[in-house]
Parts: sequence; C-alpha cells; structure tokens
Amino acid sequence: MPKHYRPPGKKKEGNAAKYMTRTKAVKYLQVSLQDFRRLCVLKGVFPREPKKKFEGNHKTYYHVKDIMFLAHEPLLEKFREMRAHGHKVNKALAKKNKERAERLKAARPTYKLDRLVRERYPSFIDALRDLDDCLSMVHLFATLPAVEREKIEVSRIHNCRRLSHEWQAYISRTHSLRKVFIAVKGIYYQAEVQGQKITWLTPHALQQVLTDEVDFNVMLTFLEFYETLLAFVNFRLYHSINVKYPPILDPQLEALAEDLYALFRYFSASSRAQVLENQDLSPSQPENADLGSVGTEGDESDLRLAQLQLQLPTNTPGALMQLVEKAGVEDTDDDETRECKSLFKNLKFFLSREVQRESLLFIIPAFGGVVSWEGGGAPFKETDEGITHQIVDRPSQGHMFLSREYVQPQWVFDCVNARILLPTDIYAVGRVPPPHLSPFVDNEAEGYVPEYAEKIKRLQAAARKELMPMPGLDIEDIEDPQNILVAGVISRTEANEAAEEQRKISMLQNQYHDELNMEVQGVPYSASGVHRTMQIPVEDTESKKETLPDSELPVNEEIMMSNKKRKLYKAMKMGEDKKKNANKLLEKRKKMAEAKKSA
Amino acid sequence: MKMPKKNDINNNKKKRKDKENNKQQDQDYKLELELEKEPIQQQQHVFVLVDENAFSNHNNDQEEELEEEARVEESDSSEDEVGPRNTIGDVPLEWYKDEPHIGYDITGKKIIKLPKKDMLDSLLATADNSKNWRKIIDQLNDEEVQLAKNEIGLIQNLLRGKTPHPDVDPYAPYVDWFEWKDSIHPLSSAQEPKRRFIPSKWETKKVVKLIRAIREGRIKQDKPKEEPQLYLLWGDDSNSTEKSGHGLSYIPAPKPKVPGHEESYNPSVEYIPTQEEVDSYQLMYEEDRPKFIPKRFESLRSVPAYENALKESFERCLDLYLCPRARKKRINIDPESLKPKLPNKKDLKPYPSTCYLEYKGHMGAVMSISVEVSGQWLASGSTDGTVRVWEVETGRCLRIWDVGEAVHYVAWNPVQERKILAVALGHDVLLLNTGFGDEEEQQKVKELLHIEAAQDPDESGATSTVSWVQYDKYEGVRLRHPKAVSKVEWHFGGNYFSTVMPTGDSRAILLHQLSKKHTQTIPSKVRGLPVSSVFHPSRNTIFIATKKSIRQYDLQKKCKLVRKLEPGVREISSIAIHPAGDNVIVGSHEGKLCWFDVDLSSQPYRKLKCHKKDITDVAFHPSYPLFASCSDDCIAYVFHGKVYSDLNQNPLIVPLEKLQGHTSTNGRGVMDCTFHPRQPWLFTAGADSVIKLYCH
Repeated sequence: MPKHYRPPGKKKEGNAAKYMTRTKAVKYLQVSLQDFRRLCVLKGVFPREPKKKFEGNHKTYYHVKDIMFLAHEPLLEKFREMRAHGHKVNKALAKKNKERAERLKAARPTYKLDRLVRERYPSFIDALRDLDDCLSMVHLFATLPAVEREKIEVSRIHNCRRLSHEWQAYISRTHSLRKVFIAVKGIYYQAEVQGQKITWLTPHALQQVLTDEVDFNVMLTFLEFYETLLAFVNFRLYHSINVKYPPILDPQLEALAEDLYALFRYFSASSRAQVLENQDLSPSQPENADLGSVGTEGDESDLRLAQLQLQLPTNTPGALMQLVEKAGVEDTDDDETRECKSLFKNLKFFLSREVQRESLLFIIPAFGGVVSWEGGGAPFKETDEGITHQIVDRPSQGHMFLSREYVQPQWVFDCVNARILLPTDIYAVGRVPPPHLSPFVDNEAEGYVPEYAEKIKRLQAAARKELMPMPGLDIEDIEDPQNILVAGVISRTEANEAAEEQRKISMLQNQYHDELNMEVQGVPYSASGVHRTMQIPVEDTESKKETLPDSELPVNEEIMMSNKKRKLYKAMKMGEDKKKNANKLLEKRKKMAEAKKSA
Repeated sequence: MKMPKKNDINNNKKKRKDKENNKQQDQDYKLELELEKEPIQQQQHVFVLVDENAFSNHNNDQEEELEEEARVEESDSSEDEVGPRNTIGDVPLEWYKDEPHIGYDITGKKIIKLPKKDMLDSLLATADNSKNWRKIIDQLNDEEVQLAKNEIGLIQNLLRGKTPHPDVDPYAPYVDWFEWKDSIHPLSSAQEPKRRFIPSKWETKKVVKLIRAIREGRIKQDKPKEEPQLYLLWGDDSNSTEKSGHGLSYIPAPKPKVPGHEESYNPSVEYIPTQEEVDSYQLMYEEDRPKFIPKRFESLRSVPAYENALKESFERCLDLYLCPRARKKRINIDPESLKPKLPNKKDLKPYPSTCYLEYKGHMGAVMSISVEVSGQWLASGSTDGTVRVWEVETGRCLRIWDVGEAVHYVAWNPVQERKILAVALGHDVLLLNTGFGDEEEQQKVKELLHIEAAQDPDESGATSTVSWVQYDKYEGVRLRHPKAVSKVEWHFGGNYFSTVMPTGDSRAILLHQLSKKHTQTIPSKVRGLPVSSVFHPSRNTIFIATKKSIRQYDLQKKCKLVRKLEPGVREISSIAIHPAGDNVIVGSHEGKLCWFDVDLSSQPYRKLKCHKKDITDVAFHPSYPLFASCSDDCIAYVFHGKVYSDLNQNPLIVPLEKLQGHTSTNGRGVMDCTFHPRQPWLFTAGADSVIKLYCH
C-alpha cells in the first residue's frame, strides 16, 4: 500500500487538496509550459509554500485557487486562438497559398492587458507600491539595442524610452525625487509618490552587454505587462496634474533625442495654457499671441498645430522654468517637497559635452534648478552670464569663466542627498572627489559612520544653525541632525508638546531602571511583583550605582532557555556578531589606509 | 567550339615556362597579337552571318592551327611527359617548410630554395620591370612564373564570374534553321479549341469562393490598426479590497535590496577589500563568496557599463515568478529579552563558589566520595585500590585501607552512631569498621560486623547468592557477589542497603539486611539494565533507574510498582532524590539534566542542557535548596533548586555556578560530587586523583 493511500471515492484533504504541483497544473490547464509561464507572469500568479510538501521537496506548488483563477482567464482562450492561428498560417504556407497566409498574418489575434492591470492592482496605490521592478525593467530596456534574433523590436525599445521619460518628467515636475545614488550597477533613484517610496535603478547610459544566459522570452513577457502598467500609471499621474496624456512632443527636440526636455516644455506649455485660460475669458487672444511669438522667434522650433491651439510656447527657457515653478506652487505641497524644490533655486547649471546628460537633466530640474547643455535644442549657451555652476567631467578645463563654479557631476548627487549646497572646492575639476555615500543606509543602525558622512552632518548642522533649539532638547540632541530634521518640521507649539512628552518618556525610563534595580537588589522575582508600585523612592536611584556592577557577573541563563529560544538567541547573536565583525573590518581597513597615507 | 580544359592552362603554364627558359620572347608577342585580333573577328561574325558553320569550323581550324603552330615552334613534343621540376609528388609543402630545399629534381638532387625577396626588392622589381605585376610564384617548384596576357584574361573572367575562356560567347545569336519565308500554310491544321472562347469555370469558382469568404467575414478588409487606448484605469479608489479576485491574499514580492555604501562608484577607502582579501574569497565556498566586490573609480566618466545588468534583471524576473512566496513574521526583538528572567544570584546565597581545599593522596582516579553524617569525615575510593578517610576541615588523611582492587563506590552508613563504610569493589562489597567514635559505639559496630562461622554454609550457600564472610585483612564483613557490583546505597534507617550488579539479570538489585546478615532479591522483575537504585529519604520505597526509565517500588507491599518516570534521554547515568522525596533529578550520558516533579507528571518538569559530556553524578543538598551535577567535561554545576510547600507553585530552578578546576584524565573529568550534610559546601572527586572542596 502506498504511503498516502486514499480509498477511492474519498476526497483529498489538507495540503493535497489545497495545492497542486506545477506539472499537474499545466496538465489541468491543457497549455504548454511556455504558455503557462506567460500566464503566470501576466496574471501575477506565483507558487506558494504548502505546510507539507506532499509530493516532494524539489517541486513547486501552486494554490488550487490560483490555478482555477488561471483556468477562467479569457487570456487562456486567446492563447489557444493564437496557437490555432499559427497552425492556419503554417497550413496555408504548406499548401503554397501565399495569399491566404499573408491575409491571415495580417489578422493575427491580439490581446490587451488593461483588464489584468486593474485586476492585479485594484487601487492606484497598489500599483504604485509594486512599481519598483517595473521601472527598473523599463529603464533597462530603454538603453538596450534592438536585437532581431532575440525579438527585441525597435518599437518596444522606443516605447520604453518614451515611458521612462514620461515618468521622469512627472517626477521632476512634481519635485518628488528624494534620493539619488550612483552605484557601479547604475544610478538609483528614490521618489515619493502619494506617500509611496519608489526606488528604481537606471543603467549607466552606455552600450549594454548582452549575454546568452538570459532568456529574453521571459523578460519580454514581463516587459509587456510592465509597459502597460507604466502607461496607465503615467496616464493617471498626468491626469492628476491636469496634463494631457499621451504628451505631444516637439518633433525637433525629439529628433535631437532631447525627449525629456521636450516633455518639460510640454508640461510648462500646458500649464501656461491653463493659467491663461483661467485668466482670459476670450480664447482668441492667447492664440494670437502664440502665433505672433512663433513668428518672431525664428530659432524656436515649431510645435505641432494641435499643440499651438492649446498651448503657448515660450520665448526663453528661463521664463519657461519660471513658469514651471509658478505652476508648481500648489498648496498641497508637503514640507519635504518644498525643501526639495528650493534646493537648487536660482541656480543655473550648464552641462559640458562629456557629462552624461540623462540623469542630470532629470535631477537638476527636480530640485528646482535650471539646466542647459552643449548641443542642439539647448535652452541657453555656455556663454550665458547667469550660469552659476558648470558641470564638468574631464581632467582639466581650458577656459574658465570666473563667474561660475566648475564642479564634477558627483557634487549634484551629494547635494541632493544632503539637501544642502556642499562646498564645491573638493569637487573641483581634476580632483578625485570625496567618497560618494549611499543615502539608503542608516549609518546609526549599521553601527559604522563613514568619515565623509560625519562631515556632511556637521555641514548640515551648520546650515540649520539659525534654528532655535527647542525646549526639552539637550545639546547632544542638537548635534544629532536627525532630531533637528524632525524638530524643524514641527512648529513651536508642537515642540512644546513634544518636550512634554519627552519628559514623560524620560520619567518612564527612570522608572524602568528602578524596577531593574529592584530585581538586582534581591527582591525575589515572584515577590517583587507584589511590591512594585508607581511611586519609587528617590534613594533607589542612588543605590543603583552600587548594585549595577553585580549584574555584570555572568549568569548562565542560556541553559534555562527552551531549545527553540536558545537557537533563536544564538542565531540573533550570530547576526549581531556578523555585523560587528564587518564594522571591525571596515575600521581596520581604514586604519591601514591612513597608515599608508601617512607613510 | 572547343572548351578549354584544365590541362590546357597547365600546359600553357608549362609552355610559358619553357619559353622563358629558352628566352623565346618573340613567340610570346606573336601569340599576344593573335589574341588581340580575335575580338575583331567575332564582331565580323555578327554582321556577316554567312555560312556560320563553315566559319566556325574555320575558326576552330584556325585555333588548332595556332596551337599546332605553337607546338611545332616550341618543338617540345615530349612536353606532356615532362613533369614538374620538383619530384616530391602530391605531399603537403609545409613538410619542407623548415628545410633549406624544396624537394628533389629528377636526378635526386636537392632543389635549393630561392632567397626570399623582401618588400624593397619587390618594389624595385616593379619599378624596373613594368611586367613585374604579372609574375607569380610557383609554390611547388619555388620559382617565379610570368603569366601571359591570355592567362590573365582567363583569371579576370573567373573573378568576374564569366565563362573563363575568352573565346566562348554565351550570347551568341540564335540561328533558326527552319525556313519560314516561303511557307503559306500553318504547320498544324487542327481547329482552335472551344475553351479559348468561353470564360473559365475554375476562375468563376474561385471568385465565388472569395465573394463568399468576404460575405461571411472570413476575409476581412484591411482595417487601420488600432492604437493602444489609454484611459483612466483607476477612477476612484473607494472600492479597493484587500483580497484579490480569487480569494487568496496577495503577497507582494520583497523589494530589491537597496544599495549600501560599498556599491558606490566611488566608495570610501575602507569599503574596498585588499588584494589578499579578494584572493581569500577564492577559498570560500561559492555560496559564501561575496557576489559584489567594491571597486573605486576616480571619476564618473570612467565608470563602465555594468556587465551583469541584464543578468541580474533576468534573475529578478525569475525570482518574481518562480519563487514560492510566503509571509514570514520577522521577530524584531532584543535577543536579551529571550533570556528568562531569573532572580539575582546574590539573593540565593550561600552556595559553593570557590575552591577552598584540595585533598591529595590518591594515586588513581577517585571514583567515589561520601561524607559522614556529622560532616566531619570524608571517605573516598579510588582506582588505585585504596579507600581513604579524610578530615574535612583540615584535609588530613586519617586512614587508608588498601583493598587491592579498584574501588567503584563508597558510602557511609547514614546513622551517626554506626561509623560503618560500605565499599564496592569488583565482585565484593566490604563493610568496614572505620574505628571512629567512642567506645560504646565501637562495641556496637563490632557486634554488628561479627559473623558466626557456623551460620554461613547452610544459610548463605542454600538460599542466597551472596555470601557474608568476615573480612580477614581489615576489620569488617565481606559480601561476595556473583557479578561485579557498581553501587551500594544505604537505607535511611541504616540497617538495610542495596547493591547494584548491572549484569546480574534477575538478581541485579539486591537488598541486604545488616542486622540479620541476610540478602534478598527484589520480587519484581527489573526491566532493562539497572544503573542505580536509591532509597526514598523518608518512605520505604526504592527508585530503580535503568538506562531508559526510572521505576519506584513500594518495599512494604511486596515491591509493588508505584510509578514510572520517563526522562526521554538516551542513557541515564545517575539519579538523586530531593530530601523531601517528591522531586528527582536525573543525569544522562548526553549531558542533560532532568528535573522531575514526581507528583506532577512522569515527564520531566524541566530539562537542562548544561554539560557537553556525560553527566557522571548528580546530588541534592540535604538541607539547603541546592543541587549539583558533575560531568566528564571537568565541570561541576551548582543550581538553586527551591521546592515550595505550596503544591501549586512550581519549583524554582536557577543555575548558579560553574565550578571548574579539575583536569581531564583519560577523557574523564569529575567523577563524583557530594554536598556537605550541614554546610553549603560541595565536594567533587576528579579523575585527576584530586578531591576538591568548594565553599561559599
């Protein structure tokens, strides 16, 4: 008799009834494994872990409900239709009926994924929450070359580029970018949209390496869904700021591959148009003004006719940027957005030819700066007097304007992360810039603070010195800029309340210490509970100092723990030790490096 | 027309070669001239068209003539037999690559290679001779050959993909031999068929088919392609629900890890591993090896594209759709909070903590120790075959019995007046008169330990397996057992004692009565190998520990089984009873200590894994709430074990002290531990032949 014998007629029970192995699922659905994979990817169905793996440990298990969910999917029927269609084409070709084959090929069944997007993400917030992978993937494909043999089509690459630029334009426009980080893998961005922190990675804007280890079928299936998702997300986001989607871009700028800038212009133009529409009741006047301005500005590229009727192209990019800002002043801005918006306010950047443009064109406007570059379609020239910073990534700079600062690109990234303007001298041309630190690491929790992070902290503290110290805060607290960050946000009255609370907390802490004392002093464990009261005599705190050293004696509590707890304890200790060792290693390396430098 | 054959080319080459050898330059020119003339002749064919056949014949003749002429003039009829100069045959030329010669001529002499021309020489040669470009090198014969003009033409034709021979004309005009001019009748007299005049049936059928297909919608007219429509997908978020459509909760995939400082393109110096560290990664297991090695770039422009970008993205995709997802609760607590809250050790004083005295004198491992009830004397038995009695407070050795065999166990009689020491060694148990105490007591002890010789043979020989004999070496009694004895335990009354013979089968546990000099077995059967037997400290019951379980028998009711305790350990090594009698501790060979609350359950109330090696002995203090265990890992552990009179309250167990000091000998550590009967002191006997006293 087999191990799990089930008499005939008796239903399956437990895990065997709830879960299904992949092979069985494929058989049940009567699809090929490839189609099953595609379905799973598109529907977001993933394997689940049953409590008991009844058919072996090495198998993947799906929930029966998930499989039923797939079985009722209209897409499944569509896949079958496509398969049948393929057969028809093959048959026609085999019968040398080219005409029919052509006709069939033209009428290939297609499907749409919008319903799936809605189904997987019932609310918009859900979609935003899961957007990380989507953005990383779309940004990656935006930099890939179209490869015929891997079925990566040019149109899809272009679509990815367009979507990524639209997303970046939105983020930049709403000033919701929070953190940026240049890693070896690419550039990480973190934005906050509707309270959701969205992190994504864009590869460095270079030729990507194509490897054979990658199965593009799977990636393209993912991309298919992600493209749809991002398009709808962008639509919704644009809708939320009253901009028409899909945007109509200036063809000349598009041809110059300045999509992002073209998008900015589109934004500003549409917002301007709105402002004008609100101001003027007669719609004919702005139209006339539009046409006139286009006529006068010969150098300015023509916008499309449809655009012209609605929007107002601007004469100078400086005015444009101001327009963007004017439109951006909305009462809904939270403090962080306000802070981000004003970081590069009144600064004018110019990117040298060798600087990687994409990321900086995205970041600088996101933090309120104005930027131009060397090349076609640039809003202003290098000789512009108003430029305050020129970003240079070359060993030496020949001609230098005295009126502006020459910095390496890392300066922008570090400023953004520190939220202050850092001194530019250490980022000067030809120098090795200071270490670029990750904004995603909580140094305090990690237990190791790099030297440059401390320096930045001091600079931040200095920049905020005008802030009055809050009541209830000690000097130590002021030194800790995070406290100030928090404190800076809340108003004075709130601060008072906070101080009150802090006092309470400290009271409670004292009480806790006293209770500890009680235990230490020898009130037996069981008895101490009876004696415990809220009023603790003051003299207890004095006796604390005498009794505390006793607790340092090694108490062998470990053998009193249950097996489970002991193992958990050991595992936790191991993790702590690992962290400590890593930090020790860092300190050791630092010492060695310093010794080398001095020697 | 005659097509040129392969041989012809060869022949021509040979001809050229011979000619050059003979320096018959004028011949050459002549042939060239002939060739130049030929195209003109062909042109003539086109226009003339008179007696084509004849002309072509003539042409052929002319060619043949030419060839013949050449042959005659060259006068080499034997030309075909003349092979190449080199006679090595059809072998790869690279065999001669490193040799100074290229082969052998017909006489067997080596043909020496020509000196190699360098670039300058060849340049000069082209400057000197305008025909130099026609020269090629014959690899086989290693000599220069000048190509004739017709040969070059041939090569050019080949390169252009034309017919190689210059004489062949692929587009020669068609010659129709039938004479149409004078015929007035058609060639065939058949009538035109009808089908030429009526519309095609099959065409009609096909058209009808197409029409039907269009009507039925099978063929669709080309429609303009629909653009992907975008609309406001999420209108209002009010109807959002937690669960997805199929009733299962959606588990979002964990977000990708955010990068740390070390992933920066320009991390601080301390994040970059040294070369030795990078090398040491190679020695690690592949799973442990760090996947990412930090690197430093001096500037942003020098950062290359990340080579694993696609691969990592792909792996993320695989994770997303292939990895089983499950919600796991991650405990985020301080590890210290996992530790049980124990009362402070200071409250639980006094307990033994420091080594106060060492009793030295034994030559072998001390197997067993026992303290006299008054606490004045300590007896010890060792593998060196001696039993010693020490004064506890001074550490002085008072008496030595040389019993001549390794001693397994010693035990003082629990009655203060009877200073008798029971010693287990080999197959014997000795009851020794220690000689302590005043004269009255001595008298009583002597009486007790006296055996009438006449009584022996008929009683002990017939009924009991154990013979009570007067010990002749020292004053005392000797009990001869059939098997080796491992333990002797006194009843609290001091009259009875039990012995354990692990290999004694049904007679493994024996009860002896001192006053009657009588021995009896336990009526109940002992299941398993007995390890130890202990009397209850106040009632007439006995605990018998086998390797797996402990059974309590009532001695007054014919050894009725009272209860059975299951410690669930691999092998029990020792057992001790709490002085109140309701709690038992059991030590095991795997280093676990089990505390039983006998009334509570047959399962241990608490298991403590306190030793790494076998526990050799466990002991309770007779008056203080203390117990101890000692083990082969040279450690004795002292615990606080408080038993409350309130039955609802569980006993309190607190580990107090780890007593170290003994050294390991032959893999054994501490062999025995005993508490002082009055003071909170602990004696430990080590395999290193030292007895230690730990005081508070």
